[in-house]
Amino acid sequence: MKRPFAPAVMLACALTSLLPGGASAAQKKSVTSPAKPRLDINKPEDVIAIDRKTSCSTEDGKEALYWWKGNVYSRIQGEKDRHLFGVHGMNFRTCKSFSDPKRGPGYRSVSREMLIYVDKDSGEVLRKWKNPWTGEEVDVLHVANDPVSMREPTHAYAADGTPKTLRGEVKDGWVLGGGGAARLFYTNPLGGDYQDYVGGTYHAMEFGTDAAKLEDLTDPNTTTVKDRVLTWVRVSKWLPWMRMGGRIGVVVFNTAGLRLESFDEMPEVVKTEIRTNWPVYQSAPPPDDPRPSMTSWDQFKRWRGEKK
Amino acid sequence: MRLTALVLSGIVATTSVAAEQRKPGAVPLPPPPLDLSRPEGVIAANRKMACSLEDAKPVVFWWKGGAYSRVPGERDRHLFNVEGMNIRQCGTVQDPQRGSGYRLVSREILLYLDLETGNPLEKWKNPWTGKENDVVQVTNDPVNGPPIFPLGADGAPAKWRGTSMKGRVWTSGEVPLFYKNPLGGDYQEYIGGDYQAMEMLTMFAYEKDLLDASKKEVTDLTISWARTSNWLPWMEMGDRVGMMIFTTVGKRLLKADDLTPLMKQEIATHYPAYTAPPPLDDARPNETSWTYFKKKVDGKRKEGSR
Repeated sequence: MKRPFAPAVMLACALTSLLPGGASAAQKKSVTSPAKPRLDINKPEDVIAIDRKTSCSTEDGKEALYWWKGNVYSRIQGEKDRHLFGVHGMNFRTCKSFSDPKRGPGYRSVSREMLIYVDKDSGEVLRKWKNPWTGEEVDVLHVANDPVSMREPTHAYAADGTPKTLRGEVKDGWVLGGGGAARLFYTNPLGGDYQDYVGGTYHAMEFGTDAAKLEDLTDPNTTTVKDRVLTWVRVSKWLPWMRMGGRIGVVVFNTAGLRLESFDEMPEVVKTEIRTNWPVYQSAPPPDDPRPSMTSWDQFKRWRGEKK
Repeated sequence: MRLTALVLSGIVATTSVAAEQRKPGAVPLPPPPLDLSRPEGVIAANRKMACSLEDAKPVVFWWKGGAYSRVPGERDRHLFNVEGMNIRQCGTVQDPQRGSGYRLVSREILLYLDLETGNPLEKWKNPWTGKENDVVQVTNDPVNGPPIFPLGADGAPAKWRGTSMKGRVWTSGEVPLFYKNPLGGDYQEYIGGDYQAMEMLTMFAYEKDLLDASKKEVTDLTISWARTSNWLPWMEMGDRVGMMIFTTVGKRLLKADDLTPLMKQEIATHYPAYTAPPPLDDARPNETSWTYFKKKVDGKRKEGSR
């Protein structure tokens, strides 16, 4: 029996690296030359190609877009979980090729990512939120991380020679990714210097699942996997802008979505918010973007600084 | 585990849609697609995803993933893996006021698996108490739904709550549960111990399969199930602060034989009833992991007092 199929990474990666997927039949190019062999899910070099098709594209610089939506709840021991607000997420990404004499073909992905909180009833973008526990009305800070990128390229073989394997479980012609979780527990950038003693550590778990068809995934004639669905769930401490301080409890995000082909396919509320307030999120960063990833914590610090 | 309850939460359908189209002697035209703006269409769509428009057709769901702990102040722990299955069938139910609906009946298993060997756990070393606990696998028979009709008990028409995009269609929902714990005492509102959990289920299908009225079921369907809950009773965690987090992925199987060798072997060896759903007229109350555990503990205590 395999271990859970996918080690989820941080939010962006969780959504894309969990599972190889495949390109849809509609996308197939007409085959004129002798038929290429299918990609082999047991061959590390092909797994890299499958990963790229799934996450972005085997073509350098080609953009890929993911969108997902769902709900955010509170969980406080002793009271029924509350529906706090809705949420839309999006990630715009692209990949660049790398090659290593020992480690074989590889790639690095770069992306921009947003989570936009929306009113649970009207579905409109949330600007202010009435905290039901403190009674305070707080300003909402959407997640806008530019960039969310792989630290280093990933290759067919890891530095220690471990070959890359297909992430996911093959079942009835589908490849299903999920079961793993990124368990995050580290010194909170918003916390003080003595978190080991007094608490305040950053504490969250993120996990995704995804599904794509095996035949799309191993199709040698396509550069992307167009038909791919996913879920993303997160259990974490209160969001900083909720101003919950040391109160006990967590927030639970539950979302579902899919890969899109263009910005225009996203819901109006997301497009309008991005065009109006976050225009840079209408595309992926350049493929050779050298900047380190940003987190919502960096963003929160900057936001607080601007407000002061 | 209440996968079924979630499946039912949006829902319901009728078999009459396709039947109405047939006229004697006429060249059979393809039936018009399901109309999700009509309550009958909503019922049919939900029924196609959950089971089949055909009465008494057994359908099997399967999923697997991981189970984790959350305790404030420590990194979440990966405690064990899980693999689940549900075998169900639906039957048409007529109501003079509420229309033609259906009821789903099912049996459900969730196995807790050893992280290293992948085998079902018999004993589990609790890392917080240091105690070795007997593991109680989830075998819930039955997990049935109430009948669901185009019109609710209050007369409100069933509404489609799915999302359609690019030919894909999915339903995704959360069910926060907070009720008196069957294992708790009579004064839970004073001293705590309530059952608290949230079930999250997403089911992905293709719109053309769902809306095609000539298809009685949606077979190309993948799922994701997650859950946050109190500690499992057999972990003997008592009042310790913390919770469980489950994450799984799975799909509707084409046939029961597509279950994993492990699950098939467990069923054959220990749970033979789970090769078929309960009868459509099953009148028994639902079993949950908590009620099942209570029976186990009560049985043990009886034995001990003898």
